[in-house]
Amino acid sequence: MSLQPISTPDIQTQETKQAKSKSLWIEALFRLLKSKTSVIGLIIITILIITAILAPIIATHDPTTQSIPNRYQAPSGEHWLGTDELGRDIFSRIVYGTQISIRIGLIAVGISMVIGVTLGAIAGYFGRWVDQIIMRIIDIMMAFPSILLAIALVAVLGPSLTNAMIAVGIVGVPQFARIVRSAVLSVKETEFIEAARAIGGKHGRILFRHVLPNSMAPIIVQATLGIGTAILDAAGLSFLGLGAQPPTPEWGAMLSDGRAAIQNAPWVVAFPGVAIFLFVLGFNLFGDGLRDALDPKLKQ
Amino acid sequence: MKKRYLFMLLAVVAMIISACSDSTGSTADDGDEKGGKKTLVFGRGADSIQLDPSKVTDGESIYVTNQIYDTLVRYEEENTEVKAALATDWDVSDDGLVWTFQLRDDVKFHDGTDFAADDVVFNFERWTTSAEFVYYGYMFGASEEDMGGIIEKVEATGDYEVQITLSEPNAPFLQTLAMPPFGIASPEAVEEHGDDYFKNPVGTGPFIFKEWVADDSITVTKNEDYFGEVAKVDEVIFRVIPDNGARFMELQAGTIDLMTGLNPQDISTAEGDDALQIIRRPSMNVAYMAMNTDKEGPLSDKRVRQAINMAVNKEELIALYEGIGKEAKNPIPPSLWGYNDDIEAYPFDVEKAKALLAEAGYADGFDITLNTFSNPRPYMPQPKVTAQAIAEMLKAVNINVEIIESDWDTHLTLTENGEHDMAFLGWTGDNGDPDNFMYVLLDKDNATVGSAGNIAFYKSDKLHDLLKAAQVEMDQDKRTELYLEAQEVIHEDAPWLPIAHTTPPLAASSSIADYIPHPTGSEPFNLLDMKE
Repeated sequence: MSLQPISTPDIQTQETKQAKSKSLWIEALFRLLKSKTSVIGLIIITILIITAILAPIIATHDPTTQSIPNRYQAPSGEHWLGTDELGRDIFSRIVYGTQISIRIGLIAVGISMVIGVTLGAIAGYFGRWVDQIIMRIIDIMMAFPSILLAIALVAVLGPSLTNAMIAVGIVGVPQFARIVRSAVLSVKETEFIEAARAIGGKHGRILFRHVLPNSMAPIIVQATLGIGTAILDAAGLSFLGLGAQPPTPEWGAMLSDGRAAIQNAPWVVAFPGVAIFLFVLGFNLFGDGLRDALDPKLKQ
Repeated sequence: MKKRYLFMLLAVVAMIISACSDSTGSTADDGDEKGGKKTLVFGRGADSIQLDPSKVTDGESIYVTNQIYDTLVRYEEENTEVKAALATDWDVSDDGLVWTFQLRDDVKFHDGTDFAADDVVFNFERWTTSAEFVYYGYMFGASEEDMGGIIEKVEATGDYEVQITLSEPNAPFLQTLAMPPFGIASPEAVEEHGDDYFKNPVGTGPFIFKEWVADDSITVTKNEDYFGEVAKVDEVIFRVIPDNGARFMELQAGTIDLMTGLNPQDISTAEGDDALQIIRRPSMNVAYMAMNTDKEGPLSDKRVRQAINMAVNKEELIALYEGIGKEAKNPIPPSLWGYNDDIEAYPFDVEKAKALLAEAGYADGFDITLNTFSNPRPYMPQPKVTAQAIAEMLKAVNINVEIIESDWDTHLTLTENGEHDMAFLGWTGDNGDPDNFMYVLLDKDNATVGSAGNIAFYKSDKLHDLLKAAQVEMDQDKRTELYLEAQEVIHEDAPWLPIAHTTPPLAASSSIADYIPHPTGSEPFNLLDMKE
């Protein structure tokens, strides 16, 4: 990925640099809003975030209160999406589940990003044996199917929501590391970096002030797409009983707990499934749009 | 170019061959194959652990060993009355110490060797020298220091006569010998396979072991020379399908013929389907939550355990059994003789529970863990959901429960080692004697860390004296009295929260006929037939 056109020569003054890069981001935003699919993604994400924030207001019932005599009720005016195997209100559980899912997405991707970006940037910037060592470790991680690696990590750490987030975060590291490394490789060769080096800039400063800011676009895209993958992996772990523990209204766990009644009370599994689907779809659509918007080759 | 064509031709041939072998494979699963071969495919939730019955206690292993082995005596098809099997006749001395068995002289092991009195002696010697035979310890009071327990000696007094001498009378002795773990193995095969015998089992039963693909399937074939009723199906395949719902869908699709572990929610679906039938196994089990009385902390206080019994609304809890369970108040099921129906179950009373907790110094409650297992068992179809329900109920008395879910193997290991606070478990009676419930599950003899049957680690001398007295007493009325009193002691000390007794449903294709499920949880399939 070549990002030369958006890289700002270091010799320019701070003001013009900011003005120019701002216009660049605004330009990308316009392109983003022009794409229908990414707007749909954005709307879904916005709704989910609002739902998460206003969960206590939106939810009609307490998400963990049981009412065993009222189990497996079909959707009705009282229970909009029906009740589950313990008579809990599925709508309220899904609403509160939004908070958990967003938290999983942000924390897991945050972990992947911090570790992945650091490793990728170091590998790309220093090259040679540093690059070799880091990237071979990354290759080993990529050799495992992601969910398998996550299961192994949770098996070591012990099943809990926090550990599931850590596991999913670690599993996402290789993608970030590879993307950042390739972005850094191309930025590193540009003239302004050479200039920075020529005036005696230290490695740390060059890396964090010049190289990384100019590799931001692919990182943002990967982060957005990564949230979708992270929530899917975490739901998978919870489905296997390795993630959120009862009575946490996590969507994957809801799917797992409700599947005994799949033939008689399909709503118990259908709605959490739809919630996961919408969440992942929203972030994927938005991420795709973002990638197109930030791709300078499509600029026109 | 020519080479490439040759290669493509080879590829096509290979595909055709593999397609053919695939299709023969799938017809074998379909029950009836050309030539009238009948294959019963039995779907279940977990694989056997070992096929040496003297090394296991789990139902999944015994399901299969029941087909391969015979015991000296066996149960009637529908109850736990004892009848002849490898032994045709038996009598006991007046003091109840010496049992003499007359054996059949026309029996061969699957490996072709003849069965005789020496083989019975060999098996007993093997059992009394094996620390792994947990059941032997449970039933005969054996321990590491005294591996023989109450069995003093076993000797062949003729080619087909065996004499067993006990050190004290044992009322359930004959019942116990009919239990599947006491299946007689071929001495030759045991010596030949050594440590690998558990996967090369050789007995005298109605089916011969053929193949075991771990975590997938176990296949046994008909024993044409069986001394009893020769099996009507030619082959039985025990298939592992962990998920209850998926297993039921396979039954609906016809890829399996009979299944255990039906989700109770699916009973109505099966009943409404002409191609399927529901078969109910007579009830002889109990599901319970054991409270580890051995651990420092709240559960070592009787008042706390009683309070927990009062804080759980069993009427609601039993609703989770969707009609296949009844509320339990005693450790033995009501279908068993000696059941104490005069005991009044702890009432559901949150206020009283709070008062008891306050008295014990836990007015503010406490944090505790509850171990449960991931796969359903016959006595507990929804272990995780049941755990959540109890956790929520205990919240009302400020007890904060953390649920720990493990797979079945891990759960058994954890609980046998006493690493839990509270844990779910259940028991299906093996021999129709109350001793098999109360002595195995609640006596201090079986509260040894590492092989505990008593996972509440409940140690009551009063109960021990009653149970021991009932073991050596040969008069059933007197034994009944002792067991009635034993249940009162257990009720008062409340080491358990008794949960339910179930009538476990099996679902089968409507082609299955003459299948009589046994109350002990499994049975040989030689009487079962498959109609066209």
